[in-house]
Amino acid sequence: MTKEMNDQVRKIVENYLGRLRRHLQGLPDGDREELVREIYSHIYDSYAQDETEDEVERILGVLDRLGEPSEVVSGQLSGSMKRMGRRRNLPFLILAGFFIGIFGLPLGVGGLVLLIGLGITLAALILTYYVAAGAFALAGWLTIIVTTVRFLFPGFLAENIHLMDQFLDPAVATPLNYVAGAVLLLLGAGMFWQGRHILRGARYLYGLPGQSIRHIRQNRWFTAAQAKGEESIAPNRLEGQTE
Amino acid sequence: MYLVDMENKIKQLRKGILELAILGALDRQSHYGYSLIKHLTGDNGIELTEGTIYPILSRLSREGLVSAEWMESRQGPPRKYYALTESGAEAHRVLAGEFTRLQELVARASSAIDRNHEPENLPQIEINKEANHDQRNE
Repeated sequence: MTKEMNDQVRKIVENYLGRLRRHLQGLPDGDREELVREIYSHIYDSYAQDETEDEVERILGVLDRLGEPSEVVSGQLSGSMKRMGRRRNLPFLILAGFFIGIFGLPLGVGGLVLLIGLGITLAALILTYYVAAGAFALAGWLTIIVTTVRFLFPGFLAENIHLMDQFLDPAVATPLNYVAGAVLLLLGAGMFWQGRHILRGARYLYGLPGQSIRHIRQNRWFTAAQAKGEESIAPNRLEGQTE
Repeated sequence: MYLVDMENKIKQLRKGILELAILGALDRQSHYGYSLIKHLTGDNGIELTEGTIYPILSRLSREGLVSAEWMESRQGPPRKYYALTESGAEAHRVLAGEFTRLQELVARASSAIDRNHEPENLPQIEINKEANHDQRNE
């Protein structure tokens, strides 16, 4: 006897497949859809075979036996791509709880504040770097523009911007100004360009606490919850069918 | 801080054995994912997170050890059938032989503790205890 899925069950399945798709974002479209079709086929067969009376309970059982999308896709993607798919859940409070749990309240809060302070300091340093890069680039630009304008209108902004033509022979100073402007501009642009290394490093550093939280959550808390027999997954599954 | 992650250890151990079991099952007949799971878990009630076989199947398929083909089902959506290729059959033979040897190794290793070490060690511990008693009594 075939058991067709009703609307509510279908919604739960679609929510699951949607999450599976999100986990497979790094794959080519064809591969992703093929795996989703295969998993849907599994869910259909498993659902049809299950004897559970209540339909919602039955589909939740099917999905529970199948496992979380992350388990179905593990090994399909490289580590970095998998991380992209999971980045959304890094609750800050878990980090706080982790610190407080380990170090006790005063020390834990202190450690947390220290960590936040370090994070802010790093952000400030990066900001400073970019401001300096921007200043260099702007100075270079201005030198070139002002030199050009002054070539046509001598004395332009002479009181505000001091360039070499004010104490050197203009015939020598103009090319020198251009060279200086170009050097400054290149310096600024080069700093911007090299900044990607800093940004990558910063992204890694900022990602570290997140990674350790995820690690702890997946390996300890999650399994602890499962060992106690709590339905730690089901509420998440139902998110598509609230109301 | 170092935590022994038993869950992960078990997962690692299972992964290789599960792969061998899949090759063994496909050596007999071709299967689609769900039927393969039913075949593997059987009536023994072996606990298996069913989704874990799909990454293994797709890796085996990439490695050319199994071939895959979509076929219509009499009811419901089409199913993806997997069959062992020639190199897959060869891989199964090699791995199954290796697994038997490893099984013997594990059996021998743990039985050796029972047979050889315990009888020798146990009296020694008792002697030490007696020695302690004597010292305390004196």
